[in-house]
Amino acid sequence: MEIPTITVESRKAAGSRAAARLRKDGKLPAILYGHERDPATLALNYKEVEQLIFGGVHVVNLTMAGKSQACQFKDAQWDHLGKHLIHVDMLRVDLNERVKVTVHLDYRGTPAGAAEGGVLHHAMNEIEIECVVSGIPEAIRLDVSGMKLDDVLHIKDVPLPEGITHVMDADAVVASLKLPVEAPEVGAEAAEGETAEPEVIAKGKEKTEESEG
Amino acid sequence: MAMLPARVKYRKMHRGHTRGNATRGNRVAYGEFGLQVLEGGRITARQIEAGRMAATHYLARQGRVFIRIFPHKSITGKPLETRMGKGKGEVDHWVALVKPGTILYEIGEIPEDVARAALARVAHKMPYRCRFVKRLPSL
Repeated sequence: MEIPTITVESRKAAGSRAAARLRKDGKLPAILYGHERDPATLALNYKEVEQLIFGGVHVVNLTMAGKSQACQFKDAQWDHLGKHLIHVDMLRVDLNERVKVTVHLDYRGTPAGAAEGGVLHHAMNEIEIECVVSGIPEAIRLDVSGMKLDDVLHIKDVPLPEGITHVMDADAVVASLKLPVEAPEVGAEAAEGETAEPEVIAKGKEKTEESEG
Repeated sequence: MAMLPARVKYRKMHRGHTRGNATRGNRVAYGEFGLQVLEGGRITARQIEAGRMAATHYLARQGRVFIRIFPHKSITGKPLETRMGKGKGEVDHWVALVKPGTILYEIGEIPEDVARAALARVAHKMPYRCRFVKRLPSL
């Protein structure tokens, strides 16, 4: 996969007010660190970065003052609604270096056991892997069409492309196919719930109330 | 059955204020899609239950519904035609306090269009404006 290139500017003014001014101009404050070099504060193009992050891109080439540097999106801060980016952390990387990265788990197919009434439970939506920077996949595709009733998929069962290894516990559950649990009878419990009251722990207080009454 | 705490230290609480935006519980964490509230305030246990029923009835055993809020706060009320005074009223109902950005419900293991339709029905049961959200991209 081709690594996208973005042009960035150095950011001199630090602090929340300077960062807010940058955001108003359509830029995104960022920090670049790693490889035992001094951290650098940057200003990125907001729309460009947003598109890349939503497009599942993990690595970009940063071009600043004629120099190019491969970087990995390490962290992103979002506003309270998770709608707008506020800041991104970027890590200097070598394209041949191995890194740990979290990628989306893409479930494909309908399980064979679904015909018998089985429901597929996704215990994980993301998976942490280790791979070469230049070979970070957008997502790991997991074919679940062969799953039968009461089958459980573990991390060790997830097929990974060549050069990519698992980092998580090999026995951790990824997905399971089970019969749906019968919902409890609503009518009886609802009637009970109308009068239900929680247990009060502060007994001393209760006793005084009782003695008053 | 409406939710309420199993054990509490004290039954009656102060009214309090709900200020600011949600800084926790404001990301889709368990499912793939969620319903996010855009205003802050109280959501009663009955409203939470109504939302859950709307989603589960629409989904008809498909997918999974996660409720991300819980009514921890008791609200008291005085009976009708009662003179003022004579102490604080009895516990009337339980509410969850939500701030703008809080994820109320999550749905997983179903296609987006079905989740969107189910959460739209849930949104109608909510007392505040809500929006459909997806899980943020992983880095």
